[in-house]
Amino acid sequence: MTRLRRILAELRDAILQAAFSLVSHKLRALLTISGIAIGIMTVILIFMVESGMSASFARQLSTLGPNTLFVHKWKWGVSGNDWWKYKNRPHVNMLDLRALQQNTTLPVAIAPLVNTQATVSHGGKDVKGVDVRGTTDGYLDATGWQIRRGRFITALDQEIGANACIIGADIEDAFFKGQEPLGQQVRVGPNMRCDIVGIFARKGNAFGQTQDLRVVLPLSSFIRTFGSKRGLVVAVVAPEGKVRETEDEVTAVMRNARHLAPDQEENFSVNRQDKLLEGFEQMMKATNITGILVGIITAIVAGIGIMNILLVSVKERTREIGIRRAVGARRATILWQFLCEAVMVALVGGAVGIALAAGAASIIDLISPLPARVDPRVMLGGVIGSAVLGVGFGLWPALTAAMLQPVEALRYE
Amino acid sequence: MALIELEHIVKTYDLGLSKVPALRDIHVRIERGEFVAIVGQSGSGKSTLMNIIGCLDVPTAGRYRLSGRDVSTLSDDELADVRNLEIGFVFQSFQLLPRASALENVELPLVYRGVAKKERRDRAVEALGMVGLEDRMKHKPAELSGGQRQRVAIARALVTQPSLLLADEPTGNLDSRTGEEIVRLFLDLHARGNTIVLVTHEPKLAGRCPRAVRLVDGLVIADGPGREVAAANAEALGAEALAQFQAAERAVQSGTRP
Ligand SMILES: Nc1ncnc2c1ncn2[C@@H]1O[C@H](COP(=O)(O)OP(=O)(O)OP(=O)(O)O)[C@@H](O)[C@H]1O
Ligand SMILES: [Mg+2]
Repeated sequence: MTRLRRILAELRDAILQAAFSLVSHKLRALLTISGIAIGIMTVILIFMVESGMSASFARQLSTLGPNTLFVHKWKWGVSGNDWWKYKNRPHVNMLDLRALQQNTTLPVAIAPLVNTQATVSHGGKDVKGVDVRGTTDGYLDATGWQIRRGRFITALDQEIGANACIIGADIEDAFFKGQEPLGQQVRVGPNMRCDIVGIFARKGNAFGQTQDLRVVLPLSSFIRTFGSKRGLVVAVVAPEGKVRETEDEVTAVMRNARHLAPDQEENFSVNRQDKLLEGFEQMMKATNITGILVGIITAIVAGIGIMNILLVSVKERTREIGIRRAVGARRATILWQFLCEAVMVALVGGAVGIALAAGAASIIDLISPLPARVDPRVMLGGVIGSAVLGVGFGLWPALTAAMLQPVEALRYE
Repeated sequence: MALIELEHIVKTYDLGLSKVPALRDIHVRIERGEFVAIVGQSGSGKSTLMNIIGCLDVPTAGRYRLSGRDVSTLSDDELADVRNLEIGFVFQSFQLLPRASALENVELPLVYRGVAKKERRDRAVEALGMVGLEDRMKHKPAELSGGQRQRVAIARALVTQPSLLLADEPTGNLDSRTGEEIVRLFLDLHARGNTIVLVTHEPKLAGRCPRAVRLVDGLVIADGPGREVAAANAEALGAEALAQFQAAERAVQSGTRP
């Protein structure tokens, strides 16, 4: 009881002293705090961008199986030098799709895919960053997705460009708590209204990202609303163990459809998922390393600032240390007192950094279609990180203070 | 059992190139309830001795027993607790926390003792009352006169009801009238049963103490009733002052600064 009272009283005292010490050196504290804040903000933003990229990547991957081939204008996993070559190729279009559907024999399923991020609304409520896809009736077979209630898109929907859509479980939760969604309407993008004809079974998360925040439309309706300049990706599912043969067949059919002479280079790519993964992982690694490097540099710069603040503070308060020791403060008391100051600077810096990052994220959220926000776990990490930084760099100055001999400290001018 | 037992205490300051022997062989016993003055010329080792008695410093050699406990066997934390529980120290330069009020300064030792807030406040108020400062409790040290600051420091030393009250030239920074008030306060505290050890330059003050110890160059050369020791010390001081005066005169005559 006495011990606890002593600790509480000492802690209160330490916090007061630390706050006073910071306030009485505003400029110095401000510099260090803004250093920490900018560093923490940068690190948080880097990781936010990274998780944004993995989110969109996860959306693409979530439909893929290992036997699926993707006919696309781009060669996946390629970056840099060859960019112009791929950029100038023609998009994969409806004619290519038809050729594949009619002239291939091996594939188990064929489905075109095109997607965008858009806002979906219902009854005055908006959900941003929804993965909106256009496809045809082959989609379920090609992806293994399942319908929980209602039906999927039919060939007829595709033919007439019906305003019909299938919604993911997150959309259902957002708009229709305890109501029947089937037969209701949602607005997709700026000006398309469509009837909900089916609901997907909940899929859960992939790569830490929800897969249920989506709306699927007939391809023809999608193109009508969002335009056709994106081009298609055609997913072709090969039978088990026949990926290679299927790839050859698809390539031949595509060459034929594009009227390529035997000596001409292909102007399309048949992609496999593993290629994509490779390229993506490389990119993520680079981003990660950048984030970590920035983090380390920030930590060192901020840490030196903290250490400087503390060393000056110990010098200025040497006599005070002597007085406290003379009336019964133990070494640990002095140690805590200075650590408290270090942690306080670091935490204020961390909090400001998190606030700045959250502010930047909400601006990005406002002006771009991408949903951007700072994960609460990242915030917690920022807080813990800055506290650790404070303790780490404050420890040495605080120890020098604690190790001072009472007489020496009292004699200090 | 004596409260303070100093046996063959030696303290040498190591300055790297030279060693300064501040205390050479101190042998003193002080009983509970005594009022002892320590006198001696400047540099004779009075403060060094007081710091050792107050557990702020440790001797280079010799044994110091406080209430029968050998202080050299105690850990740093235990020494801190001894300073907190057993000793009240009054410094010549007050040594108050500049940012804390008089009341908070007096409360400080009780904080390290884990006394509850309410009781802490009550006891600090009471201690400030004993030194006649009940109307200055909210003042910061900078807003108090020298005598008042010293009384705050005394209240801080008293608030824990220590078994030993130490004062290193408590009147050194005060004018003679305020000094006299502080002296009365100590005599009064002694009359109430406190054990007091006090360093002083002033023969008049030492003369009023029942016992005085005189140091010369780190050695005890007189230990007896205050009046006698003080008289001898005064002579010594007089001789010293005369010597200084003569040196100054010579310096003036030869045109150099003393
Ligand atoms: N930290 C130190 N380092 C080196 N020498 C010291 C130190 N403290 C004291 N001394 C030396 O020890 C001797 C005794 O010093 P002390 O302060 O005990 O004298 P004092 O009797 O209190 O003098 P005064 O009356 O001037 O306060 C002096 O010669 C002094 O120079
Ligand atoms: Mg002295």
